[in-house]
Amino acid sequence: MSEAFYITVGELAAQGADNIPEELVSSKHLIYSSPATLDFNSPGAKGFGVKRAGLAIPGSVMLLVAPACCGRNTALLNELGYSERFFYLLLDDTDIVTGRHLTKIPKAVKELCGELDYTPSAVMICITCVDALLGTDMERVCRKCEEAAGVPTVPAYMYALTREKRLPPMAAVRKSVYSLLKPQKRISNECNILGHFAPLFDDCELYDILKSAGIKKVRELSRCKTFEEYEELSRANFNIIINSEARYAAQDMEKKLGIPSIELARLYRLDKIQNQYRLLGRAIGAETDDTKYYGETLKVIEDFKTKHGSLTFAIGECVNADSFELALAMTEYGHRVSEIYGTAGERNFVFIKKLAEVSPETRIFSNLSPTMLNYERKTKIDAVIGVDALYYHSDIKGIEFNDEIQPFGYRGVKLLFERLDRALEERL
Amino acid sequence: MKKLLKHISPLAPDDSGACSVLYELGGIVVICDAGGCAGNVCGFDEPRWFMKKSALFSAGLRDMDAILGRDDRLVSKLAKTTEQISGRFTAIVGTPVPAVIATDYKALKKMAEKKTGIPCITVETTGTHLYDRGEEAAYLALFKEFAKEKKQVKRGKVGIIGATPLNTGLAKANKIIEKYENAVCFGMDSGLDEIINVSECEKIIVISNSGIKAAEYLKEKFGIEYEFDFPCIPENVLESAKILDGKRVLIIHQQIAANALRDKINGCDVDCATWFDLDKNIAMENDIQIKNEDDLADIADNYDVIIGDIAFKKIIPIFKGEYIDFPHFAASGRMYGQ
Repeated sequence: MSEAFYITVGELAAQGADNIPEELVSSKHLIYSSPATLDFNSPGAKGFGVKRAGLAIPGSVMLLVAPACCGRNTALLNELGYSERFFYLLLDDTDIVTGRHLTKIPKAVKELCGELDYTPSAVMICITCVDALLGTDMERVCRKCEEAAGVPTVPAYMYALTREKRLPPMAAVRKSVYSLLKPQKRISNECNILGHFAPLFDDCELYDILKSAGIKKVRELSRCKTFEEYEELSRANFNIIINSEARYAAQDMEKKLGIPSIELARLYRLDKIQNQYRLLGRAIGAETDDTKYYGETLKVIEDFKTKHGSLTFAIGECVNADSFELALAMTEYGHRVSEIYGTAGERNFVFIKKLAEVSPETRIFSNLSPTMLNYERKTKIDAVIGVDALYYHSDIKGIEFNDEIQPFGYRGVKLLFERLDRALEERL
Repeated sequence: MKKLLKHISPLAPDDSGACSVLYELGGIVVICDAGGCAGNVCGFDEPRWFMKKSALFSAGLRDMDAILGRDDRLVSKLAKTTEQISGRFTAIVGTPVPAVIATDYKALKKMAEKKTGIPCITVETTGTHLYDRGEEAAYLALFKEFAKEKKQVKRGKVGIIGATPLNTGLAKANKIIEKYENAVCFGMDSGLDEIINVSECEKIIVISNSGIKAAEYLKEKFGIEYEFDFPCIPENVLESAKILDGKRVLIIHQQIAANALRDKINGCDVDCATWFDLDKNIAMENDIQIKNEDDLADIADNYDVIIGDIAFKKIIPIFKGEYIDFPHFAASGRMYGQ
């Protein structure tokens, strides 16, 4: 039995993004269902997978067209109040080979809409690996459904088979949920924030900064209570993308609605957050003043260090952060990071290279590797961040930091240290 | 419309059933999927996932693996894992993806055994059937592969087939075996050795229809007699059911559990219904197999009392009789006593 595979940040940076070891490449080995994998591999089970995300349009319902196994865990969403919005058309052996179920979908949508005591704003048709393999033209099926039921019908592709493709399921569903917006007169002082299926924390400084820049209305899909409010999203003068998975949806909105976009990253290094706000101001033609937020956050970080000293962390990927960027931030704030459970790739290699300069000995483990079944702690860890990190180290204090409400900017950094402080206080 | 679920979520599928049987046996189990099916199993249908470690993995298939039928890649991944994780056998569990591309499981088994040097069993589930079918196939495959030798019978030893969380809502065997002096639940709190040594058993107890075919096989091969029982009906359900008198009662569960409860009820006219396989040999005249939501809606008014998982109550909102909750993990995902 071999130990859990790891590579140090220094070794990985030296090997380069083109030579990531096979154990860190999910297509090269079997997949272990760690907590992070379950988030990743189990759409609908945790957070916002395709099924739950597909219901982001207010008043919409979803018909999952799939074998029973694909919809089984949707029962978990019943506890979150979705039980009246999910319906299932189950496929049998003949369906999945011949595709005969496609003719049943419009009938099912009609029956469904006929039995509801309200007219849904939209019916999302969620399809899975079976239709990916059959090459189903779901746009066409959706048009048939609209004719049959008189309700807008939109496809949601839960194609786990195409997860690493150009348009992975979570990017595709973001496009789907904005696809019912119609062009209308855009208002110069209104904008949208795209990226997540839950809003930012109410007291996130991004709202204030935009307000001070003259933006009167900031909309987020997750704050839309009615379909009318949803329709107002197309009035925006510009979109702010805060999660790269929304990039494709933003491009589609630019094409269809003429709304351009600006992309911001969720970062935990103060100087980078500051720089990003400066660039945002330049892009929208306004001066942004974030001095107050910068100062407050810096104080929280310094107070934490004074109170708890320099700590050694383990950081997971089941967290509202890029684990490598967060590790870099913690290191720059005077702490150590001994272990990261994360997925290294081109996207975050820039952080890995920087981390290699300041913390080359940090170990990187892959949550997806079968060897994680043999994981045993071999390094000193004072505190952990992330659901997966807490799973591996249930005896160590830490925080999940994986809320649905999204941390961002200075507020995100403050929240991180405030929560760490609370979690560690018990130990003092 | 048949196969349209408007009130309940899908019931546990066959691949979950297969994994449930294999979970504790010390093998390396691969769900032949892209990731979602393994997520459903580990994140929902397998309550032992966060209690007991098991080498249960997803094959992590991608579209080109399926389109090009790259079984060799799957076998290579499996072989690599056998070098990293100890396992006495490997198992490959099917899902809709191999069903669509008509994967040749016999070839997979041969390839895997050749490459890893350890036995491989395959369970040809498709994700379109219910969990009992997957359990049935897994039990049968296990006993056929591993129970080869006739052993000396141990007097009083009882072997229980069908003890999975999906059938019982239990993750440990103690409640199931407490009424027997020397009993083993295959695949729950016991490992592969008990499968190998099944012929030591004097008797087999089948607690779910998923164990019937395996029991018949063992009877034919080793001459072990089997009988039916379901020793883990929750106390509160038993108490509520026992005081019914002169009522028309419908029990909805897996057939053997429903039958066991029927046996405890006196003075009532009791029928059993199941969403899962209904064996005519152990069914009574009016017992029913429910195939869709409308089937239940159509018969509910014939009864004063319905005993079944509370999830099914949503199908019959206008049912005026008494509804007694009898949890079934394969329906609502609730454990015994929840």
